[in-house]
Amino acid sequence: MKEHLTEKELIEYQFKLASDIRMEEVSSHLESCAMCREYLERLKRKFSALDLLREDVKISEDLVSNVVEQAQGGVGNLTVKKRLLRFAHKDEWRWVGAVAAVLMVGLTLLVANLARQGRRYGPVKKPGSPIVEKPADTLRPQSEARRMLFARDEKKADAADEFEQPPFAPASAIELVVLPRRDNVQITIYNSADLTLVRERRNLTLKKGWNWLQFMWANTLIDPTSLSLEPLEKADKVDIQQLVFPARLREVGRWLIRSEVSGRVPFEITYFTSGLSWRAFYMGTLSQDERKMDIQGYVRVGNNSGEDYENAQTRLIVGKVHLLDEIAELARRPYPYGWPFVRGDRIRSISGALEVDSIEIKDRLVVAGFFDDEEIGRKEIKKEGLSEYFLYTIEGTETIPDKWGKRLLSFEAEDINVTSLYKYDEERWGNQTIRFVSFANDEKHNLGKTPIPNGSVKIFSQADEPVSPSASRDGQGYLSYVGGTGIKYIPVNEDIELNLGPARLVKVEPTLMDFRTDNYVFGNEGNVSGWDEIRTWQIEITNTRELPIEIEITRGFGTAYWTLQTDITYHGLPARDSTARMAVVQSKHDATHARFNLNLEPRSKRIFEYTVTTYHGAREETFIKSKEQEKM
Amino acid sequence: MNDTDKSLIDAHIQGDPTAFAELVRRYGDSMLGYLMRMSRSREQAEDFFQETFKRVYEKAHTLRGNRFKPWLFTIATRVAIDGLRKQPHCVSLNQNLDCDNGRCEQLSAVADTSWEPSQKAVRAERKEQVRLAVESLPERQRATLILAYYQQLSYSEVAQVLGCTIGTVKTQMFRALKTLSQRLPDISEEMR
Repeated sequence: MKEHLTEKELIEYQFKLASDIRMEEVSSHLESCAMCREYLERLKRKFSALDLLREDVKISEDLVSNVVEQAQGGVGNLTVKKRLLRFAHKDEWRWVGAVAAVLMVGLTLLVANLARQGRRYGPVKKPGSPIVEKPADTLRPQSEARRMLFARDEKKADAADEFEQPPFAPASAIELVVLPRRDNVQITIYNSADLTLVRERRNLTLKKGWNWLQFMWANTLIDPTSLSLEPLEKADKVDIQQLVFPARLREVGRWLIRSEVSGRVPFEITYFTSGLSWRAFYMGTLSQDERKMDIQGYVRVGNNSGEDYENAQTRLIVGKVHLLDEIAELARRPYPYGWPFVRGDRIRSISGALEVDSIEIKDRLVVAGFFDDEEIGRKEIKKEGLSEYFLYTIEGTETIPDKWGKRLLSFEAEDINVTSLYKYDEERWGNQTIRFVSFANDEKHNLGKTPIPNGSVKIFSQADEPVSPSASRDGQGYLSYVGGTGIKYIPVNEDIELNLGPARLVKVEPTLMDFRTDNYVFGNEGNVSGWDEIRTWQIEITNTRELPIEIEITRGFGTAYWTLQTDITYHGLPARDSTARMAVVQSKHDATHARFNLNLEPRSKRIFEYTVTTYHGAREETFIKSKEQEKM
Repeated sequence: MNDTDKSLIDAHIQGDPTAFAELVRRYGDSMLGYLMRMSRSREQAEDFFQETFKRVYEKAHTLRGNRFKPWLFTIATRVAIDGLRKQPHCVSLNQNLDCDNGRCEQLSAVADTSWEPSQKAVRAERKEQVRLAVESLPERQRATLILAYYQQLSYSEVAQVLGCTIGTVKTQMFRALKTLSQRLPDISEEMR
């Protein structure tokens, strides 16, 4: 058998498509090959998606009766259209069938029209008379109060056939009353799609029979297509019949609820909205020796959805979740489907105002007490892995009014071992030295419990001089801003390298000291066909900081055919200081670059030289041959 | 066909009205499940279901041998494929509102709240991806996959249903799986 199994062989094995002999061969191979076993597991996981379509389907007794009745000669419960089609297929009855179909359709329309008129002109309630519940709380947020209205159809309250026919949707809001406020609400913010899932629980007082519940989403970014209502108790006695969007009423939906019980029933209303967002940012504080760092992670949740969320349990999704539709686009529609009027300008203006208002909002939050440090300190964000994305649950509840934002502490880690490294690479950053701080998102670095969402990072450093003697004892000196950068999503156990920008106190100055050519090769006609170029560079590094540093210098040679003279000449050091000489590590970085790593003492200068020989023309072949001989 | 199937068919041919109803109950769940995967809606599946058993009722006397289940699925497959060919596939947003009991897949992605909604939403969305991936398969491959994987018919039974050799069934199955391996979404245990 071959070294590893192919995907075809594994699929055939998994689904028993291969012959018995082949199955045995594959099985024995799998016993000895971990890689193929792993690949098989991946395939199994892949195909396990098919199980999502597995569901227990139960036929109803009605369907059985219909089938039996139809088979025994009747037409059972087939649709009218199907009956007509079946009838029309018999040629001899074609015309009779067509006439009968017309008559049936006409009769059906007539009956339906009469029934509708009967309801329309039936007894009408006096305005205000059927109010069964007063507004429960005058302190309720306005946006919430205007959203939820509830009506009951009491026309058939005492009728024996109260469940026989659903009532037609009420044409006015005269009978509608305000519902009790939310008992609780949970919001889950999917940042990548400008999407938030809202689950709210409310206690509705139902009466036996038909009930109407009205939901309005005017001036919000709620996606009406996502509205859903479910009873949390007595589900077998309460049936959500339909959700209708009445004509001529914009941004209104009404649920028809059939209840077999009277009294309070808790319901859960869920929907998607856009306009809620969150972003992560981080503050790092380097210790004086810059070997340790404390880091705090925050999230700032902003609400521009048009709706207030009081005491909401807040959950944040990190990572991208593929969604079938752009909810923001759906939310711009005043009507669920196909209405021509679009309010895009208003939405855009809100979105545009978000960043502009951020600072002002933040200031207002400080005044209003939303940035209470003690409160932030108490809050904790619980993280939970969900496949390729991540769920952060903020402990407790938060109130996030419309147009407001709130900063929450995400995590805190202390004494993270970090490595400071200065880098010099003319091809990438010109003649500037760039400073980097690196660590890893793992347990060794007191991190690694969760992935780190993308966001901005600001790094500060403990200054040398403390504010006061007591502050010095506490290690709380002045903080100086070191630099800032943005980070991308960092999975667990991945390295993080923060680019803190140019370092003014560490300088690298390369100087070309010598240039010559040598080893000319002449062609048959006496022309030069190959030569070597030999350059000697002097690199001067100055560290004016009070701390020792490590620096990485990358030098490019413009060709893949080069050799570096390993005998580096050092300046500014005692001739026999072999330890210091060893401090410079030289390595081939890639085909055209070499790297030099060295450490510098505080307030010191180091100079070293290297000589590089580059090969050109016919000398490139000489270079290649010499390399091949070295390998042999 | 086990003895009960055989006795029920015989009883039905001899005019016992309860025998046919018992057959419908016996195979109704798996047959409706099969037709729901083959069709585009529950309503359509129920129409196919009725048509299938109507043909069983009428053609029971033509059943030869003792393999009722493959024969039943053969009829259902023909009914479904013929029915799907007659009706062009069109997707309307409004159909979401017409579906009852939350059975409509598109709407369930946002409307089903019987469990954790965010996970439910993602799960429903993935389910839709799987459904679309299965629906995108050619008819024969789709029928082979559904019969073998979901209905758990043996390959020889599938061959009987589709009227072809076991080799052809395996080829169709492999092609279906090969296509699906490219189109199925990645899921992990947490999301299942």
